[in-house]
Amino acid sequence: MRAFTWLEPGTTTDAVALLREHAPGARLIAGGQSLLLAMKDRTAGPTHLVSLAGVEGLAGVRTADDGSLVVGAATTYTALTRLDATALGGWHGVLGAVAGDLADRPVRNRGTVGGSLCTGDPRYDVPVLAAGVDATLRITGAGGDREVPATGFAQGPGLVALRPDEVLTALVLPPRPRWDAVAFEKFRHRVFDAAIVSVTCALRAGADGVAEARLTVGGATPAPTPVPGAAARLVGPLPDPDAVAAAADAAAEEVLPGGATAGEAVRYRHELVRTLVRRAVTRAAADLRRS
Amino acid sequence: MTEAPPRTAGPGPAATGPRLVGTSVPRKEDLALLTGTARFIDDIRLPGMVHATILRSTVAHARVRSIDTAPARAVPGVLDVLAGAELVGKVKPWGDLMQDLLVGDHFPFATDKVLYEGQELAAVVAGTRYQALDGCEAVAVDLEELPAVVDPEQALRPDAPLVQERIVYEFGEGNVFDRYRVRVGDFAAAERDAAVVVRQRFTTNKQAGAALDPHGCVASHDPFTGVLTLWSSTQSVYMVRDVLADVLQIPRTKVRVMVPEVGAGFGSKAQMFGHEVIAALFSMRLGRPVKLVLRRDEIFRAGTTRNSQVRYAELAMAADGEITGYRDYVVHNTGAMSVWGNQVVHIGTNVGMLPYPIPNVHVDSDIVHTTTAPGGPLRGFGIPQTVWAKEQLVDMAARELGLDPLAVRERNVVDPATFPYRTPMGQVIDSTSIKQCLTACAEAIDWAAKRAAPVPHEGLGLAVSMKYTSCRHPSLDTDLSAVRLRLETDGTVTIYSSDVSHGQSHATMLSQIVADGLGVGIEKVTLAPPDSMTAPFGLGTYASRGAAVLGTACRLATERLRDKVLAIAAHVLEVGPGDLDTGNDRVFVKGLPDSGIYLEILAATAAYRTHQLPPDFEPTLETVATYDTPTEREASDGSGNLSVTYSGAAHAAHVRVDPETGRVTVVDYAMVHDTGTVINPLVVEGQHQGGFLMGMGMALSEDYVYDENGHQLNASFKDYLAVTAPEVPELTRMSEIPAPSTTIPGGQKGAGESGTGPVPAAIGNAVLDATGIRFTALPITPQRMLTALREKERRGVETLRYPDDMPDFTGPRCPDEWPSPTAAEADDFDFDFDFDLDPEEGA
Repeated sequence: MRAFTWLEPGTTTDAVALLREHAPGARLIAGGQSLLLAMKDRTAGPTHLVSLAGVEGLAGVRTADDGSLVVGAATTYTALTRLDATALGGWHGVLGAVAGDLADRPVRNRGTVGGSLCTGDPRYDVPVLAAGVDATLRITGAGGDREVPATGFAQGPGLVALRPDEVLTALVLPPRPRWDAVAFEKFRHRVFDAAIVSVTCALRAGADGVAEARLTVGGATPAPTPVPGAAARLVGPLPDPDAVAAAADAAAEEVLPGGATAGEAVRYRHELVRTLVRRAVTRAAADLRRS
Repeated sequence: MTEAPPRTAGPGPAATGPRLVGTSVPRKEDLALLTGTARFIDDIRLPGMVHATILRSTVAHARVRSIDTAPARAVPGVLDVLAGAELVGKVKPWGDLMQDLLVGDHFPFATDKVLYEGQELAAVVAGTRYQALDGCEAVAVDLEELPAVVDPEQALRPDAPLVQERIVYEFGEGNVFDRYRVRVGDFAAAERDAAVVVRQRFTTNKQAGAALDPHGCVASHDPFTGVLTLWSSTQSVYMVRDVLADVLQIPRTKVRVMVPEVGAGFGSKAQMFGHEVIAALFSMRLGRPVKLVLRRDEIFRAGTTRNSQVRYAELAMAADGEITGYRDYVVHNTGAMSVWGNQVVHIGTNVGMLPYPIPNVHVDSDIVHTTTAPGGPLRGFGIPQTVWAKEQLVDMAARELGLDPLAVRERNVVDPATFPYRTPMGQVIDSTSIKQCLTACAEAIDWAAKRAAPVPHEGLGLAVSMKYTSCRHPSLDTDLSAVRLRLETDGTVTIYSSDVSHGQSHATMLSQIVADGLGVGIEKVTLAPPDSMTAPFGLGTYASRGAAVLGTACRLATERLRDKVLAIAAHVLEVGPGDLDTGNDRVFVKGLPDSGIYLEILAATAAYRTHQLPPDFEPTLETVATYDTPTEREASDGSGNLSVTYSGAAHAAHVRVDPETGRVTVVDYAMVHDTGTVINPLVVEGQHQGGFLMGMGMALSEDYVYDENGHQLNASFKDYLAVTAPEVPELTRMSEIPAPSTTIPGGQKGAGESGTGPVPAAIGNAVLDATGIRFTALPITPQRMLTALREKERRGVETLRYPDDMPDFTGPRCPDEWPSPTAAEADDFDFDFDFDLDPEEGA
């Protein structure tokens, strides 16, 4: 670790001002569960750390008037796991489940939703869930506020579409009617490891089955990747196991074309995409059938 | 006295009071560990202490053009900087274990060439650790990168990059560091007469010790006395002291090595390392204490690892299941340099043949350098690698002959009519219950019933091994430990030993022996911290030697101390020493345990009332005893009884394979061991559990992942997949069938490593049973598993060997296609001497 100056703004406006004042060496810090490790390794060496801990209104979850779920960027994973079904109703509850089943307890106690999204690690879970349910991200900066789709925010390992003087303030999940069933699946070596591959399946019911389907794959590519071609196969009557398997095969081929005959590492991820898409779709379809 | 005559196990001298040996006495170590008051190396803070860090190479193989340390000297806080060139001619290279530094391949820093990623280039000492890191970054390094060689078989090719250029080995040019061979019996005849010969190329992984407590030291040189004190996280006080003094060319009286609490070593701390020399040099130059504790990535890259191997293994079996021969060609990757590496293949092969008395054994090994982290000892010392190949071949042969793998093993495990029994490899089995262990272990896993009703994607596998208990290594003609005991003037007892306890519970185990032998309460017995200034010479704690060798020295010292105490008491009480007994902290006349004289009084008599001592009695109540095992040196044909006794391990794995993700789950695991007389069942159980855990990591997840440039991709606990508690099955099916050693006076056998040996093979055999896939490479990761499952489906076969026989190979290879030892013709060796190996010798 190198020496740095610790700054504690009280508002996002102040935070943005500090980022601008101390550019290019200033970095935001929320839970620090990724940044601090990089700083200890000296692979990151910010001159100034702008803490989000004291920024008002950045932590916490509320349901907006339109029914969307606004998750403050500084909300910790542990805080999400403590919310009950009134705060995280319906498929919104998947966010709590995902937050409770990643990394280990110390990381969940400190790590935040915003940190997960802004680190740009392709193996993290929250970005794959956010893109998978077509969430939006609220960003504030010197140029004003903006909202962007979660899909496309991550652009590669360590790269996100956030300017150096911007602050991610919230993850906004669409209102519950947007989807009728959401399932998240992942595979990791040890219980606290990051996922090798993860998949989100979101389904909206129609009169005769699935009206809309969205499949998003993480881990296999440098950033969460939607697979609309495979998802389109799910629209129509509730898919039977063969249809699920066909969609899974299509998803794997869409994410990693030719992966079945590639080297072992790619071939394995190709296989995992098949398995996890199959599991996620099967689970989401079962939920749909029940509802 | 250096060697005790063999004697049979029997009750110790103390005839009264509850005996503690054999009971699960709560560990004396635990209070400090559980309350966080135990002091590890990084907890040591001395007045005026400064901090050093090492600048390490980020490339694996390079020529050093220049290393300019001047810019680092200008960095604020930096006190001193060292690099290789300035030390040449001032410190002595090292490379052997303790004495006679034959191979000078180790030096504190790379001078002309970098041989592996993580090798030391320079070091900086500063007021704080961060300033030292800043200093390291300022050192200007100019390297000319050379091609790396990661694969040990590539290293053998004539066009391979030469790793060690300056050292001329016995075997000429090239990367062959050492060669090893075994010629016992006649394998060609066994092959000719066998009903089946199974053959397979197997590879094994590089595994880390992964001790949580990092390698590190604090050096403090006193310019007035000239004494250099080194606190180090090490397994061996004297190995560090003697090599360090030799490297620095100062008398051994001027080097004092002390060891704080050590949070495990597993073999990875069983030598002196460059950082210990660097800290010592800085402290001598500055006259201040210097702390140098390594970071995790440094430990991965520059610590020692389990030697990876490529094995071309063959096993001959008769129609009735008798194992008649074993042949192997082993390419043994010992990394860029190694003090222990070649020993691993010698002992791992010799003892790895057990528990089968195989009559015909033919092994060649090329021990090669690659531009990877130094190889060395790690829990099991070569035996898990050998057993991984051999125990899978046993299953393969049994299947070809349509025999039950359990029955084949029961037929072959050593089970002589009389003990001691000398195997064709030369091991003298003084006692064993390995056959009973095997049967019990199969029962514990429910072998017959589960195999009769197979469950899809689940399988069972067996493996057996025996582990040496201490060892006479080829380059160490000693197997010595020592204990000094002192009865203090208040009746308490201090134990002095240089064999570091790094998880072996010496404070508890030795206290149990002393308490029983002297009749003193265990709470009155204390183990002094390891310190070369006060403790007698011993080799250190590795090779599963603690309970048997150190324990025996402790037992002998206790007997001597008891004799002295009885002599005083006999004089005072005016009875013969033979009429006396000890117990309840006193010496009493036999039959009158409630009377007698307290040890406290007797000890005070020796110190403060010397007129009451017997005539000509030497007043000191200190005794020293050593124990050196009655082991043999390795013979020219590779045979010999290298270990004093052999502990047995029979393991059975029940695994489940997820055909969708490739994950292998160990659902259940049974272990039955012969650890001889167990001093503390609680401790031994913990050793077996830990041993299993390391074996499971070797089997399923742990490996050094290198890219083609020799850069390790997983040098952190985040990426290196060490096994953690959630993956481990409930290890409730564990039991002991003790066959007490008849050579070790107390009957003990080694416990620390027998839990590791069979694990990869047992899991490998279970995986075959579950999937039809014979894995030939370690570890069996989900990635390899799933790829193999798909390949098997694609080809529509019942069984598949993976990855070695991919994609076109289907049947047993012709051995003619296998490589021969390359560096020299295997049979060209002229040995100067030939031991006469009389099979009756030692019987």
